[in-house]
Amino acid sequence: MILSLVFFSFSFAFYILTALLYLGNWVFQKKWLGQLATSMAVVALFSTTMILIMRAGESGHAPFSNLYESMVLFVWATNLGYLMMEYKYKFKTAGAFVMSFEFLAMLSATMLPYRYKSVEPLNPALQNKWHWMVDLFSRFGLEKYAIGWLDFHVFTTFIGYAAFAISFGLAIMFLLKNRYETRGRNNALIGSLPEARMIDELSYRAIAWGFPFLAVGIVTGAIWANSAWGAYWTWDPKETWSLITWFIYAAYLHARVTRGWRGRKAAYLSIAGFLAVIFLYWGVSFVLPGLHAYA
Amino acid sequence: MQEKVNEVAVTRSERVWYQTVGSKVWYFFNSLTLTIFVLMTLAGSSIFGTVIEQNQQASQYFAAYGEKWTRVILYTGLNDMYHSWWFAALLGVLTMNIIVCTFERFPPKWKGLLANKSPEKFEPRIIDKCSYHQTLNCPGDVKEVRERVLAAFKKKRFKVSSSSREGGHYFYARKGVIGRFGSDVVHISLLLILLGAMVGSYYGYKDFRIVYVGTNMTVPETDFEVRLDKFWIDYYDTGQIRQYNSLLTVIEGEEEVLTKQIWVNEPLFYKGIRFYQSSFGNAWDRINSANMVLVSKKTRMAEGSEFTVGWNEVKQIPGSRYSIRLAGYTADFAYDERNNTVFSQTAEANNPAISVEVYEGERLVSTPWLFLKYPGIFPAIPDSEYDLVFTDYRGILYSGISLNKDPGTNIVWLGTGVMGLGFILAFFVFHRRVWVYVRENGGSTEVKLGGLTNKNNFVLEKDIKEIVENINAG
Ligand code: HEM
Repeated sequence: MILSLVFFSFSFAFYILTALLYLGNWVFQKKWLGQLATSMAVVALFSTTMILIMRAGESGHAPFSNLYESMVLFVWATNLGYLMMEYKYKFKTAGAFVMSFEFLAMLSATMLPYRYKSVEPLNPALQNKWHWMVDLFSRFGLEKYAIGWLDFHVFTTFIGYAAFAISFGLAIMFLLKNRYETRGRNNALIGSLPEARMIDELSYRAIAWGFPFLAVGIVTGAIWANSAWGAYWTWDPKETWSLITWFIYAAYLHARVTRGWRGRKAAYLSIAGFLAVIFLYWGVSFVLPGLHAYA
Repeated sequence: MQEKVNEVAVTRSERVWYQTVGSKVWYFFNSLTLTIFVLMTLAGSSIFGTVIEQNQQASQYFAAYGEKWTRVILYTGLNDMYHSWWFAALLGVLTMNIIVCTFERFPPKWKGLLANKSPEKFEPRIIDKCSYHQTLNCPGDVKEVRERVLAAFKKKRFKVSSSSREGGHYFYARKGVIGRFGSDVVHISLLLILLGAMVGSYYGYKDFRIVYVGTNMTVPETDFEVRLDKFWIDYYDTGQIRQYNSLLTVIEGEEEVLTKQIWVNEPLFYKGIRFYQSSFGNAWDRINSANMVLVSKKTRMAEGSEFTVGWNEVKQIPGSRYSIRLAGYTADFAYDERNNTVFSQTAEANNPAISVEVYEGERLVSTPWLFLKYPGIFPAIPDSEYDLVFTDYRGILYSGISLNKDPGTNIVWLGTGVMGLGFILAFFVFHRRVWVYVRENGGSTEVKLGGLTNKNNFVLEKDIKEIVENINAG
């Protein structure tokens, strides 16, 4: 019995439930529904964590080595990011968007062809664990859970992606809400969203997290490339696309801080940035030639 | 801003032409519209380099894009766009833009933020202009409330200065001013990274060596050599390759300085130069040993058993009057008729052939080439009843080692570290300023407070809410 698959099936069910609960909370505005939704999101997060841990145990390396595993990581990071935001800013309607998105991501992970899913031993270029960590963990017989620059690189990059995904979701929420606000129309569903100004601010905050994390991802990628390919920067398509994405978000930040591009214009830039993220994540692997396996 | 424009207008007439040009250039670079434009242009143009494969032969572009577009690609440098003049120019504009903007903005920001400390300077009405403001009525006398206000801000770790005049008390509380400098730190870090990249491209080099076990490679611009002691491949149980390894020894003069095992991802670093495991393969011009057998020309049957000759070794063929030396090897035999030389057409063992010297006693009788795939195609020993057949060989692996010197790398790493610090300041330290006015108001005490922040209104609102709660709770 492969435990990671068991946890995957459970998580899948949990995300369906979580999404439904958040949607229910949005439609019916019941406090108990909201609380239940949040608890379910926590359960789903735990279950997703277990997929990753089990997977690491089964393969003997960090669970970020193929598209399927990276999707799970993406779902995990987005869930964690969302819960942190919910805890801090106390608003739950975004959960309906984020968790539906999580459900779709899980669904697409299950539909991946087998070759993107199987547990494969790592090819030579992908192996380097931090020696100190291997030494430390091997004292407890846990050396297969040690990680290296590559794992750290993938991990931070995906935190960035998750933050951008959240910002993207909020940008769409903003556009919806803003439309109703400016036209002075009313609708119970839209009405229960927070003020447009606040959604806009949150969308920005998500980018303020994603931007430095993507930067750390790019830098750790450079550190890794420096030891694997012999140079810290080789203009490989994946590297280049990460830089493109990063520049788009840099433009977003500058436009916002210095030209007062808030609201609609900012939302469109955030959407453009996320399209670049999607291309960076999926498009580059399938469309362009290069050295990066998937992530 | 208006004043600045006037200033320019006044001085324009007194300027020499180059000053005018200089100030025009300066104002061109002192623009944030330019920044957004450059960032978007860098992002947009970089896409070309990911779609058009870089550094290919012209013929490949021709095949993929046809003549007209190939000419466009080569003319604009899109075949190596990240090293083209216009990409460098864009980076140059970015650099100038950062430098000029920092020069223009940093000093006033510095002064403004440090100077704006005194609570004497504000009027109560500016509080109402703050993005977040509130008025409370607290029981208790002014003195007591004043202490509570101070304590509430201290508890939230605000710095507070205060003054009293005309029966009112004024406070200016602030926190996280350092966060304002985060963007400057990020920009300086970008300059460092660009500097590191430049240093690397001017003072560094890249090289590649094919090294056989037991031989040395020279290293440009240094006084040491590196010897390959061993090369081997590790496999998983399933037979998939796990890792390529080389054992390298650094030799300075006569002395062996250090020995290190390298593999993919684990280079040797010595005196500023990195040695990477980058490839491996079978040698095309030498082998470890060859197997041969003596056959009868008449019957084509083996005479005696198969024997092995090492590289360059002379060996008596068992049970015969001949001895033999293994003198040469070529992996993909080809013959150049113009200058009568043998060469290897490719590096692959498509047509392996060995060259041997055959001796009868002390006398050299022939120097034939023997072909693994075509035994007996030429008689190996003329005027003899015997022939030689090449049956097998053991090749030699070489290790492909990349050399890389990049003295800019450390500057780049320093830059990334500085950038990390800048991000923490820019995104996670919020500058919050709160102005408070406390005065007696018919038996109770009125407290007006208003706050501003450079970002994250949530945090400010939360701070003020907690502060208000603390003031009310006493
Ligand atoms: C091309 C030249 C550039 C110029 C002239 C420039 C200028 C500025 C200015 C004036 C600010 C606002 C400063 C403040 O509010 O304190 C700013 C903020 C910032 N810049 Fe730049 N910038 C440039 C390029 C870049 C690039 C390439 C990056 C990174 C990719 C970058 C990262 C940032 C960050 C992270 C902030 C803070 C944004 C925020 O607070 O939300 N800058 N920049």
